[in-house]
Parts: sequence; structure tokens; C-alpha cells
Amino acid sequence: MISVSKLLCDLDAEGDGLRYDAANESTKRQIRDEKQRRPVVVWNVTKQCNLYCDHCYAAADTEIADGELSTAEGKSLLDDLADYGAPVVLFSGGEPLVRQDLEELVTYANEVGVRPVLSTNGTLITEERAQSLKDAGLKYAGVSVDGLPERNDDFRGVDGAFEGAVQGIENCLDAGLKTGLRYTITERNAADLEGVVDLLTDVGVDRFCFYHLDYGGRGTEIVDADLTPEDRRQAVKRVCDMTREYHDRGEEIETLLVGNYADAAYLVEYAREHMSDAQAQRVYEYLRVNGGDPTGERVADVDYQGNVHLTQFWQGYSLGNVRDRSFGDIWEDESNPLLTALRNREEHLTGKCADCRYAEVCRGASRLRALTVEDDLFAPDPQCYLEEEEVHGPPPFDTGENSMAGESSAD
Amino acid sequence: MEEFDHEVDAPRGATSREWEVFVREDTADPLTHVGSVSAPSADIAREQAAALFARTAVTMWVCPADETHRYQSDAATLGSGKAGDDATMSVDEMESETLRGENR
Ligand code: SF4
Repeated sequence: MISVSKLLCDLDAEGDGLRYDAANESTKRQIRDEKQRRPVVVWNVTKQCNLYCDHCYAAADTEIADGELSTAEGKSLLDDLADYGAPVVLFSGGEPLVRQDLEELVTYANEVGVRPVLSTNGTLITEERAQSLKDAGLKYAGVSVDGLPERNDDFRGVDGAFEGAVQGIENCLDAGLKTGLRYTITERNAADLEGVVDLLTDVGVDRFCFYHLDYGGRGTEIVDADLTPEDRRQAVKRVCDMTREYHDRGEEIETLLVGNYADAAYLVEYAREHMSDAQAQRVYEYLRVNGGDPTGERVADVDYQGNVHLTQFWQGYSLGNVRDRSFGDIWEDESNPLLTALRNREEHLTGKCADCRYAEVCRGASRLRALTVEDDLFAPDPQCYLEEEEVHGPPPFDTGENSMAGESSAD
Repeated sequence: MEEFDHEVDAPRGATSREWEVFVREDTADPLTHVGSVSAPSADIAREQAAALFARTAVTMWVCPADETHRYQSDAATLGSGKAGDDATMSVDEMESETLRGENR
């Protein structure tokens, strides 16, 4: 997760990027400690959903699926995550609100000290449920909208889904629940991006997360509907331009990019071209500490049956099941050669990623897309949109000690 | 002697059949469980698992998860909660609860 607004609008000369990098021993230790951080855990509480979106990575269904974790098992899982030190649990699905014990689980997550946040399509957030989720201690709701009304409803397979989601967002905001947009950018909806942001800022939303399509679940069927790398570059540029325009007008919206760490490299290039070398260096320093693609390290997924995955999008492979073994035991088990290889991926990346000057801030972007498209776990991400001349050469700035660490969040 | 009388019988498959994967990294090593892949057939499971493990493995087994009976010496990690209780909405409930902007 890369915060465009922070990198392009808030990181001034005194910003935390540089402060964080002050290269004395204590800061280095702090950075090493950061590497030990536990993953944000996405928990798909159900496979069931009231909508039928084209790009659903969880391949959700309208019918209840076999083997969903019960309320009691869910609480044991939350205990397990708390014991392991997971900082955040992102309740996801399917559509998590179809579980009527969601509030009970959110309350429990709070009690055991794992910060509960939610990813939802918004169309089941009635006034009552917005209030009960707020009362349960939910900290954030990310509501998916994937285009202006006609396009969104088409994508989601239900008429009125756009209006329903906006109604859900309003109900959250009325209940005092921090709410943001999730927008998965594809070829079909890229044109609507600014329109949706304009429309939702009017409703009161000030946080916008733009997701790149990853190629898992139902998404694999629409690899062809994804943006071309050139169009992706344009879309990301528009997110950058739009963010700066809003901030220039004094409207301090938060914008984030998720799911393609080539964005990290692009943001440095963008800052250099449209802002200044000094800004580009600040952006680079910040992203270097942020640590590149988090798959298998700073983000994890537990599906509705308790299977543990490397990210929420990578449902076709599971490390193990929390009904057999605790989450921490599964996540720490580096006798699994795949887990170890992913955590040391810089040694294995091939092609242009192997000597990319941005490898430290990107780490080859999505291994799942490389696997799906190239059938090669360590090939370059097919959705890397950097130009040849941008990826070659030494690192753009002298950075001192190598470091792979940093913050992550998955909402 | 442990009885191994706790069977973990909840299904593992998400979208299609699930296959438990075991690999050996050297002929002298023990065969190790390294997770599972989703695939409609053993052949495709082999391809999926090979894409993840062939780099380092010398032996690879894929076993259908629904034919792999898992037993624990103690109760399963998450306790004995039965899978899929009635916490989830029915299709009719979902349909009637879905907001479509009617009251905006
Ligand atoms: S070449 Fe590889 S490491 Fe470099 S920006 Fe592209 S995906 Fe990232």
C-alpha cells in the first residue's frame, strides 16, 4: 500500500521520510526491528456474497459454502492472531456483512487487541448495521465501488449496487465510522476514476484506495480485461495529478495505490519529472523503508475454511490450515521452501527485475501475476509499466545500508 | 502412545478440489508437507505444484485433500466449533437486505 498523498503532498523537507532515515545506530536498529513486524491478516469470513463481481478474487457465491469457520472457531482464530501479534485483521469475504455474527467477531478482535477493519461492497450496511459495527469497535470500513453507476452495476452484476454502496457509505459516515473507497482499476473503469472521486468527496469520503487487479480467483478470467501497461501508467499518473490538484485546492484527500509496487518506482520518476530531484529523493527514501511488495511477509490471508494464503489474491495455494496448526506456526514455518524463497526473493528475481535500479522499492511487484501469466514465480511482473531506460542503471540515489522494512496495511 | 483420535474433517477446497503437496529437496531428506494447491485434476495439481516447488524439489507428491484424513493427538487448534453454523444470511435474507439506493 503506497500513499500517493503522503509521498507527493505531505513529505516536505522535514517529512518523516528523511527523519526516519537519519543514519545513526539507533535508527538502524529501529529499522531492523520493523522487519520483525507481524503481517496484517485478511480474513475472508465467508465465501458468500450478495453481489457477483467479475473480478472477485474469492470466487464468491450466493450460497453458503462448506466449512466456514464458526463463531467459536473465529474467536479462537482471533486469539491465535493476537498471540502471534498480528496488528490488524481485515474482515473480508465474500461479503463479510452476510455473517450476522460479524459484530460479535469485531468486538472480540478489539478485546484481544487486534485492530478490526472491514472490506465490504457496502450494500448491506443499513443504518442499524453501521451503528452496530461502530459500537462493536470497528475502526475503518473500505467500501468497494468500481466505476460510475452504470459501469459499477454492470461489474457487480446487480442493478442499484452503486446507489446501494453510496447509501452504505453515508450510513457509515453518519454513524461516525471512518470510511474509504476501494476501487479496482481495470480497462473497463479506468475512465471513471476522477468522476467517482468527485462524486464521493461530495458525500464526505476523503480516503481513496486504488487497487491494481491481481490475477487470482475470478480475476484470472479477466486478465484480458486488465489495463495494458501503458494505460496503467496513464491511470497512475492521473491518480498522482488528481491528488495534487485536490491538495492544491485545500482538499486534503488521502489517496493510496495497492497491488503493484512498480508504482513505487513510478512515483519516484513522477516526482523527478513533475516536482524536483529533492522530492524524488524523499519519495525514494520513504519507499525504501516501506519495503516493496509485502506478499508472504507483511500481509497474510486466512480464507473462510481457515486455509492460510500468501495474500488474499493468491487463493490457489495454501500454506496450511488453522484448524490443523496455529497461524503463527504456519507463518513461521520456513521449512517451506516457497515461503523462504519469497522472503528472499531479491536473490531469485530474473529478467529486468534482477538488475532493476528500483528493485529495493519494488521487489519485482506481483509474484502471483508473474506466476499466472509467465508460469514463472520469479519472472518480472507482466504489469510492470516502467520504461526500459528507467529500470536500468544504479539505484537512483545513494541510500546507505540496505534495508527491507516498513509499514504495511491492507485496507 | 497418542491415540490420534481427533480427526480434522473440515473441507480444504475453495474453488475446486484441493491437493496436499509434499516435497523432498534432497534424496536423503524426509518428505515434507508444503501446503496445498487448488486444481480440478491430479495433472493440473502437479503443474500448479511444480510451478511453485520444482525449482528446489527432487520428489513431489500431490494427494487429494478429500482423501487425506488428518488426525491430531489433541483437539484441533481452533477447538471443536462445528464448521458453518447458522451465522450466515440465507439467499433470501441477502436479497431483501441489499441496499439499492431506494431511500436516498
Ligand atoms: S523491473 Fe521489476 S523490480 Fe523493476 S519496477 Fe519493474 S517489476 Fe519492479
